Amino acid sequence: MKFARFIAAGILAGTMLMPAAGYAADKPVVGLVMKSLANEFFKNMLEGAKADEAKRGDYTLKAVGMQSETDVETQINAIESFITEKVDAIVVAPSDSRALVPPIKRAMEAGITVVNFDVALDEKAKEEAGVKLAFVGPDNRGGAKLAGDALAKKLGEGAKVVIIEGNPGADNAAQRKLGFMDSVEAGKLDLLDSRTAHWETEEANTLFSNMLTAHPDIQGVMAANDSMALGVVKAIDAAGKTGKIQVVGFDNIPAVQPLLKEKKLLATVDQFGQQMAADAIDKALKVVKGGAPLEGWVKTDIKLIMSEDVK
Amino acid sequence: MIENSSSPIKSVEPLLQLSGVAKRFGGVVALNGVSFDLRPGEVHALVGENGAGKSTLIKILCGILQRDAGTIMLGGVPYDPHTPGDAKLAGIQVVHQEFNLLPYLSVAENICFEDLPRNRFGIVDRRILHERARKALDSIGLADVDVRRPVASLGVAHRQLVEIARALMGESRILVLDEPTATLTARETKRLFAIIAALKAKGVAIAFVSHHLNEVFEICERVTVLRNGQSVMTCDISQTTPDQLVSNMVGRQLAAAMAATREVDKSGRTALSLHQLRHPASPNESGVSFDLHYGEMLGIAGLVGSGRTELLRSIFAADIPQSGSLDRDGKKVSYRNPKDAIADGIGFVTEDRKEEGLILDMPIAANVTLANLKAVSRYGLLNKRDEIKLTRELGADIKLKYGRPQDNASTLSGGNQQKVVLAKWLANNPRILLLDEPTRGVDVGAKAEIYALLRALADKGLALLVVSSELPELITLCDRILVMSNHRIAGELERQDFSEERILNFAYKDERSHEYQ
Amino acid sequence: MNTSDASLPGQMRIATTTKTILREAGIGIALLVLILVFSTTTQHFLTASNVTNILTQVTINLILSIGMTFVILIGGIDLSVGSVLAFCAVVAGTVMTLPGLDPSTAVILATLSAVAGGIAFGLLNGFISAYWVIPSFIVTLGTLNIARGAALQVTNASTIYSFPPAFNAFGSQTLYGIPLLFLIALVLVAIGWFVLTKTVFGRVLYGIGNNEEAVRLAGHNVFIYKIAAFTICGGAVGIGAIIYMARLNIASPIIGIGFELNAIAAVIIGGTSLSGGRGSIVGTLLGACIIGVLANGLVLLGLSDFMRQMITGFVIIIAVILDKYRERLTKA
Repeated sequence: MKFARFIAAGILAGTMLMPAAGYAADKPVVGLVMKSLANEFFKNMLEGAKADEAKRGDYTLKAVGMQSETDVETQINAIESFITEKVDAIVVAPSDSRALVPPIKRAMEAGITVVNFDVALDEKAKEEAGVKLAFVGPDNRGGAKLAGDALAKKLGEGAKVVIIEGNPGADNAAQRKLGFMDSVEAGKLDLLDSRTAHWETEEANTLFSNMLTAHPDIQGVMAANDSMALGVVKAIDAAGKTGKIQVVGFDNIPAVQPLLKEKKLLATVDQFGQQMAADAIDKALKVVKGGAPLEGWVKTDIKLIMSEDVK
Repeated sequence: MIENSSSPIKSVEPLLQLSGVAKRFGGVVALNGVSFDLRPGEVHALVGENGAGKSTLIKILCGILQRDAGTIMLGGVPYDPHTPGDAKLAGIQVVHQEFNLLPYLSVAENICFEDLPRNRFGIVDRRILHERARKALDSIGLADVDVRRPVASLGVAHRQLVEIARALMGESRILVLDEPTATLTARETKRLFAIIAALKAKGVAIAFVSHHLNEVFEICERVTVLRNGQSVMTCDISQTTPDQLVSNMVGRQLAAAMAATREVDKSGRTALSLHQLRHPASPNESGVSFDLHYGEMLGIAGLVGSGRTELLRSIFAADIPQSGSLDRDGKKVSYRNPKDAIADGIGFVTEDRKEEGLILDMPIAANVTLANLKAVSRYGLLNKRDEIKLTRELGADIKLKYGRPQDNASTLSGGNQQKVVLAKWLANNPRILLLDEPTRGVDVGAKAEIYALLRALADKGLALLVVSSELPELITLCDRILVMSNHRIAGELERQDFSEERILNFAYKDERSHEYQ
Repeated sequence: MNTSDASLPGQMRIATTTKTILREAGIGIALLVLILVFSTTTQHFLTASNVTNILTQVTINLILSIGMTFVILIGGIDLSVGSVLAFCAVVAGTVMTLPGLDPSTAVILATLSAVAGGIAFGLLNGFISAYWVIPSFIVTLGTLNIARGAALQVTNASTIYSFPPAFNAFGSQTLYGIPLLFLIALVLVAIGWFVLTKTVFGRVLYGIGNNEEAVRLAGHNVFIYKIAAFTICGGAVGIGAIIYMARLNIASPIIGIGFELNAIAAVIIGGTSLSGGRGSIVGTLLGACIIGVLANGLVLLGLSDFMRQMITGFVIIIAVILDKYRERLTKA
């Protein structure tokens, strides 16, 4: 009895609050579905989007983040509540390239403009669900190849290298590994080992120390993100091989700037994360306002940052 | 010593026959040649001091332990159970001394646990479940217990009866009852004996383990005495006497020690005065008031649930009293926790050794010093040499039988465990000792030693407050007895007025008035 | 009885010591077997530099495990250690990078603040679970989130870096091939061992784990002891945070995820009972070493990431099963 009344009260309050949520102004509403805001990269991305909202002032941003990298359910729930709220556009960085296809399909069927950014939804899953959706995002594979090529150029043919991978199962991790593999092939490098450190500094430090024991002749390391590159550089220092092993990373986070300056990190890749969400929102708004629908892969900027560029 | 005297039921083949059964644990010999037989339709008592091997024997019978030597025949074929399940299949049911109930399941679920009735969806059929449990409880006369209640809400005596009901659920040829009356009141014991008589009539063979020789003489046909892991005597109950059994059990005459009385100095100062002290669970608003004197042994009698344990706990501040006050040496005190009570010279030997008294998996020495670690430490650092020395000294004082002070308390027999609990408080040189069932589950020999010890303490001027369900114990030990009923003092008896009837009269006073209501 | 007792103390002491050694030996033998396997199957396992690596890699988990041993001994558990480590690290990192501090003052202040942060969370865990009698599993599940959230809040999810060079260098220094950081952990092992085996405090902790009510009725303030156990654990986490920073030269709010599970595994592999009352710091040391050696050796063997994870899981289970047998052996 009590419980039923509680629910009734909840529903009532919900319906009463709806209009109060205030989409009364003619500004379009954009729902932004982010990945883990505990991750600096996404945190900055969100701040970029908020800055953009404040600067432009012609749309309302509603952002939802996740508790952890793999918290798929929060994203699905967020999309579903955005559908209920009838937002004008949903901009989503999927945490799982398959699981999010069905809710996104429902959103599109409800007439909402959906833009997929950061990580592309799985082509096959989209096909099976009958969803046609463009992807706005960086070329992780291409970016990784830029870093890998820089390493290959520095070391020359036949150099012995290892790859430190991101989370197994994560799409960007897989793409970056493919990019590194492209460089290995193109630069005729000798790949000794490739393992995951789950994006983590401490784990990468431990893992690379152990790799170095197994293969004392490693000349170069390709780390799938800068956090792991930090751990690798520390391991090289601890082994007394500073300067003898070249490292490349990905993401260009603030913490690697000193390493770039000290030449402990050869190169990293900037995918301008801060702008990425804002860009995607911009593209979504154009469609909402009657622009042509997006198609295929709308690539966003990436840039190779070499240590000699950093002053 | 083994007498296989002619039996009144001589033509009957034994159902179960053990010969030369032996068992050792590492270096310790637990059983060293036990021979024993059970005939259909008889109640056969197994008596002996704690540590004599009764529990080991029972564990072998029900498949918890495996014997090292000897033979067991069941119905003419070798019997060699490896699990309790084997024993149940063979028709042997055991009611253990320690409860094996699942406290948060209902009485019905506990009783039928081994064979829960299921409907065709595989879901427990509550209706049949409750019916069966109801029948089982009714058959042992427990009509007043709701089978849907969780076992945890039952008193200890009722739990024992539920345990028995559960054992009776299976079709059993042999029923082993290990100390079934230890937690029962006189009335419930009567009820149990009626059940035993009914089972006997059905041809079930019953092995009855008890420390209460009066019970043995009341319901048993034959008796086997175990001592130091050997069966030293088997005979018809009609051809022996309690004295003979006791002397066989302990191998020495203890009757004198058990019966000795004490000259009481009533002029002792008042150690403790209770003024309307009320336990939070007590329904009696006016609480309990009495005085306890130095050198006095004051007994507290009463039925299970009459508030005896609660009284001790509220004195000791194990539970904070709801109201009332306490004078210690004439000065008002208010303890916030046991620590305060201990600092004020009070010790509390609790009813339940395993739950509240002992740390079984820690060394004897650690148990002995637990309440007085200050005596064996400096600046917070333990001096293990002092600790062992103190344990040896106290152990010698109380005639503790143990291996080494470093051995775990779990290696001791029940009586010796109880002595360790006593030693823990004695290490603290208390002025007042609260004792709750000080000889529960303790064998005759250790019991006599504990009695002597308590007397010596009272002679030294300690004030002793003893709660016991065994009336002979209170009558033997105490200088004065208070009888509790429904959380109030229902009566007070001086030594010259002691008798079981008078005590019971007071104890049942409230009970009867309830029944009339 | 008494005469024989008195004539035997020396012999008896030897017997007890042998028994204790036997208990630890089981875990020690397991560790030796692992070392033997890896040194015969891989080329570089027993090289000086790899031993240095293993010791470095063991350090943080070992320090957390020491604290965890205290909590598990009283029958509790602390799931918040990984998050609290992150919180302590970002607090210390913030202090260490405050402008205008000279490097040594910065390091000292940072260390103090990390330990203070850990102790604060330990006190909170202990107080809540002891005062309201809530299982520590639930309480620390709560503080796990609180600490992680606080760490993210303090830093706005960003990584702190650029610590004083001397602090940084200290993290990779070794003494005869033994990392200084590991030596710090060893000192903590020694202190933990001393406290648990030689003091009244340790004795009462074991007692609480075995039979809390008996200890309370023997006049000990169980409440304070419980809080103390969690506080010690928190303090250890604070030290662990500083060690983390010295080793990796960063402090980030997302470090330490899952560290609690590794610490619990080390404690349990080390023979401490999850229900409390039984176990030792020496066992925990060996347990942490087993986890470290395994992680290192499996990479050297060249097994895939997924195989490594599976084998680590099996080893944890096998270690606990072996412990059951060892318990029976020493009891008989």
